[in-house]
Amino acid sequence: MTTTTTTDLYSDDPQWVDVTPIPQYDGINPVAPILYTDEYKDATDYFRGVLKSGEKSERVLELTERVIRMNPAHYTAWQYRYQTILALGTPLDEEITLMNDIAMDHLKTYQVWHHRRLILTQTKQAAQELAFLVKVLGLDNKNYHTWAYRQWILSHFSDDDLWRHELEFVDSMLRDDIRNNSAWHHRFFVLFEAGVRAGDEDREALARQEILYSKERISLAPNNASAWNYLRGVLDRSGTEYSSLAGFVEPYAGLPGPTASDADTIDTENPAPQPGARLPSVAALEFMADVYEKQGGERLADARKLWTSLAREHDTIRQKYWEYRSTAAGKL
Amino acid sequence: MTALFSSDDCYPSATSDLQAHTEHVLSERRAKPRTDKEPSLDKNNHIQFLARNLLQGFPSRYTSQDASQPWLSFWTLHSLSILQVSLDPGNKQKAIDTILTWQHPDGGFGGGPGQAAHLLPTYASVCALAISGRPGPGGGWDQIKRDKVYAFFMSLKQPDGSFLVAHHAEVDVRGIYCLLVTATLLNILTPELIAGTAEFLASCQTYEGGFASSSQPYFSATPDSETESAKALLDKPRPPLGEAHGGYTFCAVASLVLIQSFEGQESTRLPQINVRNLLRWLVQMQGTAAELGGFKGRTNKLVDGCYSWWVGGAFSLLSSLGLAPPHEHSGAEEGAESWDDVDDALFNREALQTYILMACQHHAGGLVDKPPKGPDAYHTMYCLAGLASAQHTLSPSASRKAEIRRAWKNTGTGGLSASTIPPSQSDIDDEFGDLRKNVFLETLSWHEETGTQCILGGAQNKVNATHPLFNLTVTHSEGIMGHFYRQTIPPVSIRMKQPE
Repeated sequence: MTTTTTTDLYSDDPQWVDVTPIPQYDGINPVAPILYTDEYKDATDYFRGVLKSGEKSERVLELTERVIRMNPAHYTAWQYRYQTILALGTPLDEEITLMNDIAMDHLKTYQVWHHRRLILTQTKQAAQELAFLVKVLGLDNKNYHTWAYRQWILSHFSDDDLWRHELEFVDSMLRDDIRNNSAWHHRFFVLFEAGVRAGDEDREALARQEILYSKERISLAPNNASAWNYLRGVLDRSGTEYSSLAGFVEPYAGLPGPTASDADTIDTENPAPQPGARLPSVAALEFMADVYEKQGGERLADARKLWTSLAREHDTIRQKYWEYRSTAAGKL
Repeated sequence: MTALFSSDDCYPSATSDLQAHTEHVLSERRAKPRTDKEPSLDKNNHIQFLARNLLQGFPSRYTSQDASQPWLSFWTLHSLSILQVSLDPGNKQKAIDTILTWQHPDGGFGGGPGQAAHLLPTYASVCALAISGRPGPGGGWDQIKRDKVYAFFMSLKQPDGSFLVAHHAEVDVRGIYCLLVTATLLNILTPELIAGTAEFLASCQTYEGGFASSSQPYFSATPDSETESAKALLDKPRPPLGEAHGGYTFCAVASLVLIQSFEGQESTRLPQINVRNLLRWLVQMQGTAAELGGFKGRTNKLVDGCYSWWVGGAFSLLSSLGLAPPHEHSGAEEGAESWDDVDDALFNREALQTYILMACQHHAGGLVDKPPKGPDAYHTMYCLAGLASAQHTLSPSASRKAEIRRAWKNTGTGGLSASTIPPSQSDIDDEFGDLRKNVFLETLSWHEETGTQCILGGAQNKVNATHPLFNLTVTHSEGIMGHFYRQTIPPVSIRMKQPE
């Protein structure tokens, strides 16, 4: 791999004397200009020169790398780098090694991840990717691009070896941070969105398993919106009635549950809120209102009572929404 | 009363720690308002920030935006428009001349001179021209190579109805939104261009109700289908890649409304999305009083001023997707006369303004994500656009649509030159005309009814409304569309009462 020293200017480099640099704005005085450093201006002037001549060479790889390291969002530099790699037949594993380095410094850049995807599409060598992504998520556990890329790796290659440990991985991410919504979304992706994997053919059993998983997480942190949203997702996807969970949710909504008299019995199917939790949980009140609304008839009044308590007391910022739900109930 | 701060339920994690820290920082903003009076918008301060960026330039840390130069200009010009400032003719011309250097010879606009064409800078360039440009030589509008823009768009189209944002680049719904706005403004929409796109967008809705960046297509693997396009796209699985996100949600929802505007309300071809879940997710994104009512972009993430627009701005689009407005449920005993007084918004408009005015204004001018961050061009515009969407409610108006329809003149396609339309489609030219008339009437009939404004801090804080689909002012939307559809748009007539 070529070592680049970003202090040297191409305009001082005799090896680049054959390239004519092209200034960005010729003859016009632009609005909203960026006041570039000399190094960036120099590199991009030569990059424009190369774009014009169409040169594809080793030194163009070095030039595009220099531009990218100064501005990883320079999608034209990425695009030209990719075309150059294809034209030269550059070893793609070397490119991935370089990308490992650049990705760690620029996690939030679209191009870093897409370039990797282009290379992987060629090499089809996905085996090392998941371990690399664990490392990257260690730096930023909610990085959107990293999660989307992981989901692409899994769904594009759809290889059982890649999928084997995915649920364990999600579990470990959720143990680290029970409120990491990216990890909750990934769990849903793995189990419900990306096709049926071997061992998950019994969809009813899977839904039961995931409902219990959600309940356990809700009992630890009853105000965690991610867990409630996941539970709703599982119920919606599996066609499970919300009312079947009323017994579990009632204690979280501060309502007397049917098993309240059996205080000594530990119900593993319906874990109780942990001490220290703030109750009632807004999500539980909302859930029970949904249950009552669905039951309709006389239960609508119970739903309205809960919406009113949300609007006036427990979730006042969403007053308009809860009032809307109340007026819309029974008419949708 | 409910406790002000959120609870970690005595089960802390990195997310709840960061949340508590942010709520603490924001509570200091609440405790120490900069004046004893209602919060005020420091218009002059922000205008100076914007003018400095536009005329003197951006400091070198903006090098990371070198491939987004059209955005820097669009954010700055549109911020000024929201603040009711227009450029003098000399600077307008300078802006036009700059923007035209970003046009790619093969169609579309790049992030700067010589850069490859890309959907995002194409939107930003065309919108910047909507603000600063005009018809005629040197005016910018007639120098846009629209047939090449169309060819560029078609070259990015994927078998699942999505689009790459540029050649060799990624697919995501931001690009689709940018493409559809551009095609709408320039009058180059065709059924061919948007075939399958609505289905792709619908597949990006996640179980939470919001939308993800993209989805993964699967194709039937029949042995005789060699090329992707020959294979049948499977309905399922079609997993979203990434979780529900404010930016992608706005782009997906606005795109669906644009497609619907083109195909007409009666179209049965549009895929179903779950509007109830979408509404639920959008309202859940508003932070509590401890977060001053700002919006976040994902579940369990922090509030950020830019989502004032991406999430706050999405509410006005819901009625177009079939969500019944609240007043339709308020009972038959209430007459239409009372509708004007009803605040239809399903989010807390006043709280959002509190967040923007108290947490997002930087003392040196410009607006920010959240304190103690510094201002930048992006957050300045999306905070201001969010403020506009909290102050003003624009909705599709049947009477405004009727006015524009009465003024409609059949002027031919006005759009692509005949040579651009494939011969196979020449027989549906008439249909094109109707579809383009549809999109013109639908997109320009968004209108603010009297009595629906909600301005925190008094009239001096008022900003211009921005079009819910384009994020341009109504004046700029009408100007550029009137030109490319060859129409004269009638002024809004003063009405005491809505006859709809």
